[in-house]
Amino acid sequence: MSKVILSVVGHDRPGIIAAVSRVLFLNGCNIEDVSQSILQTEFAGLFIAALPKSLKIVNLNDRLMEALGVMGLSVSLSEMEPSGTWKSPPSEPFIITTMGADRPGLVAAITELLAGFEVNISNLKAVFRGGDNPLENTMIYEVDIPVALDHNLFREALYKRGGELGLDVSLQHREIFEAIHTV
Amino acid sequence: MLTHKEVLSTLEMLRNEHLDVRTVTLGISLLDCASDDPARFVDRAVAKIGAVARDLVKVCDEVALRYGIPIVNKRIAVSPIAVAACACGPDRMVEVARALDRAAKEVGIDFIGGFSAMVEKGFTRGDLALIEAIPEALATTDRVCSSINVASTRAGINMDAVYLMGKTIRRAAELTRDRDGIGCAKLVVFANIPQDIPFMAGAFLGVGEPETVINVGVSGPGVVKKALERALGANPKLDLGQISEIVKHTAFKVTKVGELIGRRVADGLGVPFGVADLSLAPTPNVGDSVGEIFQTLGLGSIGVPGSTAALALLNDAVKKGGAFASSYVGGLSGAFIPVSEDLNIAESARLGFLSLEKLEALTSVCSVGLDMVALAGDTSPETLAAIIADEMAIGVINRKTTAARLIPVPGKKAGDKARFGGLLGEATIMPVRGADCSAGFISLGGRIPAPIHSLNN
Repeated sequence: MSKVILSVVGHDRPGIIAAVSRVLFLNGCNIEDVSQSILQTEFAGLFIAALPKSLKIVNLNDRLMEALGVMGLSVSLSEMEPSGTWKSPPSEPFIITTMGADRPGLVAAITELLAGFEVNISNLKAVFRGGDNPLENTMIYEVDIPVALDHNLFREALYKRGGELGLDVSLQHREIFEAIHTV
Repeated sequence: MLTHKEVLSTLEMLRNEHLDVRTVTLGISLLDCASDDPARFVDRAVAKIGAVARDLVKVCDEVALRYGIPIVNKRIAVSPIAVAACACGPDRMVEVARALDRAAKEVGIDFIGGFSAMVEKGFTRGDLALIEAIPEALATTDRVCSSINVASTRAGINMDAVYLMGKTIRRAAELTRDRDGIGCAKLVVFANIPQDIPFMAGAFLGVGEPETVINVGVSGPGVVKKALERALGANPKLDLGQISEIVKHTAFKVTKVGELIGRRVADGLGVPFGVADLSLAPTPNVGDSVGEIFQTLGLGSIGVPGSTAALALLNDAVKKGGAFASSYVGGLSGAFIPVSEDLNIAESARLGFLSLEKLEALTSVCSVGLDMVALAGDTSPETLAAIIADEMAIGVINRKTTAARLIPVPGKKAGDKARFGGLLGEATIMPVRGADCSAGFISLGGRIPAPIHSLNN
């Protein structure tokens, strides 16, 4: 049984997930994972589904386009390749938070540094609304830092980069946030 | 997945509300160092402290950096020296204190506690030698702390020990008169002393404790105050039941952080984790004060009418939140009201809102007791002993810990300012009403019997 990954993007409104999941159900597909997000007015959804042997991907794509195209949604469907996936080294979860005035290139500058240290981003939420309120100009990265990485070296580089960008940066173990916010 | 709000509120606690771990205290048993040769005891004790605590500061610093939570103090608590070094006479006891001081400096810790004796029912020779050595030991060391338990709900109050401590405190102050009697800031007299206190000056490792153990003291007056301010800002009509809930939630968070950090340090050292002490421990910094919480609750100052009720609410809510967060709670676990170590409380004493008598009343509903109370240098040993006896009675009858850390500041009188420096802060000297009227009672001596409710088996 093959698996597909489907992305659906468009103006948010009620009924998008219903429309996608109805097509998948009527074609015998089993949804394994779904994640959705709304940024400002736009919806973005990701679905991983297993396909029955009798169904060709191209046919599923046509049926999705037919059902979702009229809703103004764009669809991208591709087969998941089991080989060639990235394997995470032993890591510890951290949270990087930045606050500071918006300017072009902030995400690029921080993520370039993370990539250089092989630090993987598992979740990112960034909000830039301009103005001086730091709470309206934040990036929160949930990252996995390889255990083998020199932690102090990484921390220094991150704080230095933050300073160059005029950002107030913090790097903290995720366990602290979980300890405080979970019962 | 963490929400935006959760991440940012945690950062706020860390950055602006002084959320930290106030102390990580490594307990080290010195009972196996005992010897009939005092010099051999010293050698063994110093070697053992050096070996066990070698990486304490390094591991604490690594964990603090990794988790982004400051560990303000790293300390050591050892077995009561009066037990472990019971063969020593007074002179040798002073040498032991100096050796502990050297060992503390070598491993880079702030304080070492355990120059202690438990004498609630009577003295051993080792106890008497240690108490006699206290003034000189504290005057000639920097980091050694001493505690003497003179009373318990089971045994009553050893009034001979209380009197002896009145004299010892006066002598300790005299020997450090050039530093406003700072020797006394490192000496606490207890009733019902817990065996696992991580906070100084009362920290020691009880004889029922393991070979080595990590106990942590959490912090959080600043966090509690800010949480209350936020909640009252959003809803000025909060009642005291709702306020208690907010304190509980905040204590829960603070305790979870403290235990997490303590366990990581314990893992790093290969030492078992013992307890989290839930005390709200202030520092002499604005925004890190227990006294400020009283003002947030609508009282003009700590010490005015209503203060005891407010402290009862605060102390109880802290315990409830903390006990839900951790199954291993110990030490003192309650709000501290150390006069000189809390800017706001010190100011309240200066302005006369907080008197010695009101402070004593407050200690009936919180932990510790008369803590860092500066008194006139000429306060007699009998008056000091009588103040201690009153405080011990509150602990014995109410089945709780109480303590007295009194500092008769040499050469100074009520209204003068005493300066101790650092975390010990500074305080205005409080007047004692009815001084020099207690000598007859104190000189009776003997032991005040244990209360009837000690017979609960």
